[in-house]
Amino acid sequence: MAEEFPFDISPMYEGERVRKGDMYVELGGPNRDGFELVQVVDPDEVEDGKFTLIGPDILDMKEGEAYPYGMIYKVAGEKLEKDLEAVLERRHHEFQPYMQGYMHLNQRYDIWVRISKDMVKKGLKSFEQIAKATMMLYKNELPFIEKMEAIYITDEEKVKEELAKAMEIYKARDERARAIHDEDVDVFYGCTLCQAFAPTSVCVVTPDRPSLCGAMTWFDCRAAAKVDPEGPNFPIEKGECLDELKGEYSGVNEKAVELSGGEYDRIMLYTFMEYPHTSCGCFEVIGFYMPEVQGIGWVDRNYPAATPNGLPFSSMAGQAGGGKQTLGFLGIGIQYFYSPKFLQGEGGWTTTCWMPKALKERVLDAIPEDMRDKIATEEDATDIEQLREFLKRVNHPVVSKWAAEEEAEEEAVTEAAAPEEAMPQMQMLQPGMMPQMQLPAFAPPSGGAAGGIKLILKNANIRVEKIVLKKKE
Amino acid sequence: MTTIVVSGKGGTGKTNVAALIVRIISERKVTLAIDADPDTNLAGALGASIRKTVGDIREGFLDEKDKLPPETDKQAHFEYRLMGIIEEGDRFDILAMGRPEGPGCYCYVNNVLRAIIERLEGNYEVVVIDTEAGLEHLSRRTVRDIDILLVVTDTSRRGLETADRIRKLANELNIRVKQIYVVANKVRDEKDREKLKNMAEEMDLELIGFIPFDEELAELDLDGKPLTQLKDSSPAFKAVKEIVERLNIM
Repeated sequence: MAEEFPFDISPMYEGERVRKGDMYVELGGPNRDGFELVQVVDPDEVEDGKFTLIGPDILDMKEGEAYPYGMIYKVAGEKLEKDLEAVLERRHHEFQPYMQGYMHLNQRYDIWVRISKDMVKKGLKSFEQIAKATMMLYKNELPFIEKMEAIYITDEEKVKEELAKAMEIYKARDERARAIHDEDVDVFYGCTLCQAFAPTSVCVVTPDRPSLCGAMTWFDCRAAAKVDPEGPNFPIEKGECLDELKGEYSGVNEKAVELSGGEYDRIMLYTFMEYPHTSCGCFEVIGFYMPEVQGIGWVDRNYPAATPNGLPFSSMAGQAGGGKQTLGFLGIGIQYFYSPKFLQGEGGWTTTCWMPKALKERVLDAIPEDMRDKIATEEDATDIEQLREFLKRVNHPVVSKWAAEEEAEEEAVTEAAAPEEAMPQMQMLQPGMMPQMQLPAFAPPSGGAAGGIKLILKNANIRVEKIVLKKKE
Repeated sequence: MTTIVVSGKGGTGKTNVAALIVRIISERKVTLAIDADPDTNLAGALGASIRKTVGDIREGFLDEKDKLPPETDKQAHFEYRLMGIIEEGDRFDILAMGRPEGPGCYCYVNNVLRAIIERLEGNYEVVVIDTEAGLEHLSRRTVRDIDILLVVTDTSRRGLETADRIRKLANELNIRVKQIYVVANKVRDEKDREKLKNMAEEMDLELIGFIPFDEELAELDLDGKPLTQLKDSSPAFKAVKEIVERLNIM
């Protein structure tokens, strides 16, 4: 079928660049407007195979010059839905480079096209040939496209005008994409890109939980898994939802065993205090539980000083990182702050007590309005005492827990601490960070044995790899 | 595609040698010159200037990644950015790697860049890479296999010792190198040649040619002028041309 075109069409030309010296014309690119848009419309709005050009054609253009370029495709088909527009448009960047001598880079409003001199020499005369070849590829590969027409624009004013309209469409599409949540999909994705540094890391990327490094979204992983199924990104079937609030899924648990080399078999996606997500070494921000205030602090890589718990980012990252599941610590990507599932298991933002000022400002619009003044920065508190004072002053939600805890503590002295939930594989990091660690919060399995203990560690500096508590024989 | 890496101890004139190699090869082959030395002097030696580097794109991504639309194809986005920083000439193009990484996570971005640079290289017949003796970009696999590794030395023993170290490093890094040669630069007389020959033999390094000390080149260098101005008849140019011929890639 390719014979009717004066240029070769094949996937082998993907990645081909047209160098400046070999270029007949440049379209779009860094110096001219350019865009591409696929629109799903009603069948009666499409004339199949039709091509329209607004502006000068290829042979009217001056060799070596750059021109604005807009490509609009209208498609229709019984199985086509508006939601597929983005998927169809993505294929444009796959199909157009199949044409030998035609360089196509990037997507949407940032496209860069070059047509080689060689292509013109071989007989390329009009954009019509480009459009017809593109539509042929679409219809061959995606037979559910029943009708397709193309409108190409090279007139500067008209490109500007249509680009402005296209921007609105992209925006609406982005809003729809952002509205996709974990409950709307059946598949999450895993990523092993940083396993070289963090061999037991189980990075689970979901619509509501971007990767810890912040580089991969669920969409990125989906695209990467499709392009390279053997690569570092792969689908994880969600399976059964075991705990909606804390985000436990049977599929994730199964995959966790495999990815961590048997180290972990439970991962809860939206919590901090129970089988938290593993922390690699790449995370942008680390969260740390401060038992003295029963709240959480966050610190990012750019904040060099110590946090209220006495440790800077680097120390905590060094200890909690490396692919471990560490109770009380959690590495995250900055975008997770914006997630509706952000620490859902702990009541979302209501447990956050401290952040560096720069980080707080950066994510301010993610913080619920009533919490904005209740989160301390280094200007309010640099140690636990100051933080306690601050939290009391602003009446932070965690303060209400303090009174309850104090009562419980008194009881615990005389009565058994009966933990309800077991937490194996717990790793304690420098208990010195938790001068008043109370058992009910971090209790090993006891099988409900009567009689209890209270452990108070004050300014301790002990490193414990594992604690094994056994019932007396 | 043939990949030639030019490395060597600082001060041996490796960038000048790389520039002359690019100039000579690009007369007949479509060539990409990659400046993988953070000092980025190759472009200057080739009479071009660099506006932005791969390092700039990498840092830029860390800033902009949260602002990109959710369904952005990031690889395509990077390809566009990378295309935008290539200095395109008539005979050859130049890509500068730029500054090393800062703190933060580069797993993803390096992985993508590797794939893109590999694709870019596929568009050229010859890729010439100027890199410092630490082989940083080679260790990071932004460059994979090497057809020819040229280590430039001056007449000092240290220059040759660096050559020996680079060879060992390439081995340790598991980079596939098909051929390794030493190029002796700024050679003054027969005595220098004899000495270098003996030292190279002692270290089991193969010397592929001598580039004589060249007044004209030294002057251009001193004035910061590009080596594209060096006459074809100059001794250094003639010597590099002979070396390139010996490489048998034309």
